[in-house]
Formats: sequence, structure tokens, C-alpha cells
Amino acid sequence: MAREIKFLTVCGSGIVTSSMIANTIEEMLEEEGYDGHADESNPSEMPTFLARSKYDFVAYASPIDEEDLNGTPAIPAIGLITGQGVDEFKERMLEIIKANNE
Amino acid sequence: MLLKKELIRIGLEGETSEDVLRALAGVFVEAGVAKDSYPDAIVLRESKYPTALPATAFDIAVPHTFAEHVNEPAMGVAVLAHPVQFQQMGSPEITLHPQVLFMLAITDPKDQIELLKKIMGIIQDVDVLNKIKDAKSEEEIYDLVGPIVG
Repeated sequence: MAREIKFLTVCGSGIVTSSMIANTIEEMLEEEGYDGHADESNPSEMPTFLARSKYDFVAYASPIDEEDLNGTPAIPAIGLITGQGVDEFKERMLEIIKANNE
Repeated sequence: MLLKKELIRIGLEGETSEDVLRALAGVFVEAGVAKDSYPDAIVLRESKYPTALPATAFDIAVPHTFAEHVNEPAMGVAVLAHPVQFQQMGSPEITLHPQVLFMLAITDPKDQIELLKKIMGIIQDVDVLNKIKDAKSEEEIYDLVGPIVG
């Protein structure tokens, strides 16, 4: 069974952009043989989400406060929408997943 | 069809982001797809969380706001008469000069994920973006973008 990867997306309103990002990452994870599950949030909701569940990583499209992450790895995700920097995102994400596994 | 012909404008005039956002958001209200509160909500949301993106062809923006200001899901397109200053999504310290706005009225992103994916496809397509920017009429944009977003 594919390993489940839980991640949190963060954007301004926690609606449109985070959905775009979440969908793109879920498809990316599927290609890599993982079972991706996204929760979507905005910057003010993020700490609550992080306190409630454990996430493999955060993907953000709005500025976030480093302290709010509480040690959860975070990857900037704007490049997923413009299509510039998709490979860099994927590389960083796979590194994090690998590190989380060790 | 989420893209509506009456929500497309070319040569949209305005000196500031607020000018062009209000002008296009007002069209959404007139068309009945958004509530009277929509233009204010769009402007406020843009100032707090900007939506401009450095697309491959040129800068664009994808203004949107919360579902409570929306009557029905819809998408509009505006080609600006001249580029206007916006801030970049995720990096508000960066100034961009969008030439095209893709304004969204979203009620449920889960339902409208296919539309959102197709919009991402347009944002990443240099050829389509250039054709939108150079369109001579609203119909031309409708005929170009309509079949893509469905």
C-alpha cells in the first residue's frame, strides 16, 4: 500500500490558490507512488491545523511566520501555479519525505 | 460554462489596481453572479493577500474572494489598457505589472477544481496568454478561453 503523505497548504483566503496547489501536489505524490492528502488553510488558521495534526510538510503561497511552523518543513509553492519551479518544488518535497522517513 | 461572455473586457482602463479591480468586479455584480459586497471584498482581499503572478508570458493576476460574496461560480477576463501595479502573491514586497486579470467567483473550490486546474494551464501557456492579450474583441477571448475552461 502506498505510504500516506499528509500536507497542509496555506494561501491568502485558504480557498482558491490552496486548492490549486493541493491538487497539483496530490497528483505529483501519486506519480511518485505516494498517497497524498491535503488540508487547506490560510495563514491565521495554520497554527491551529499544525497543533491538531502532524503534517509531513507545509506548502505555502502566502507569507507565513517561521515560528508558527513549529518545526514542520515548509516549501514555497507559488512556482506550482506559474509552472516555473515545479522541479525544484518536487525535489525539495521528496527530500523532506525521505528525511521524515529516516 | 463558467466563463461568461458578459464578464470579459478588453482595454479596461484604470490607474491603480483598485481601479481595475472595482471596474471588473462591478461587471460581476451587474451580471448577477456576485453580490453587491463583491467589489469591496475583492479590493480588501487583494490588499491583504495579493494575487499577481509572474506568468511566463507576462504578469497576470487572479483576483478572488470568499464564497459569501458570490451568487454563482463564474470566471471573467480583463485585458488592461495598460499594465497596473499589483503585488505578487506570496511575496507582497515584489511589485508586478499585470496585463491580464482572471477574476474568479468561486463558491466551492472542491467542485470547481477542474476550472482551477484549467486556469493554471492557461497561466502556464505563453501562446494562449499572448493571444488573450492581443485579442481584438471580447468574442475572440470567449472563443479562445471558453473551450479550454469548459
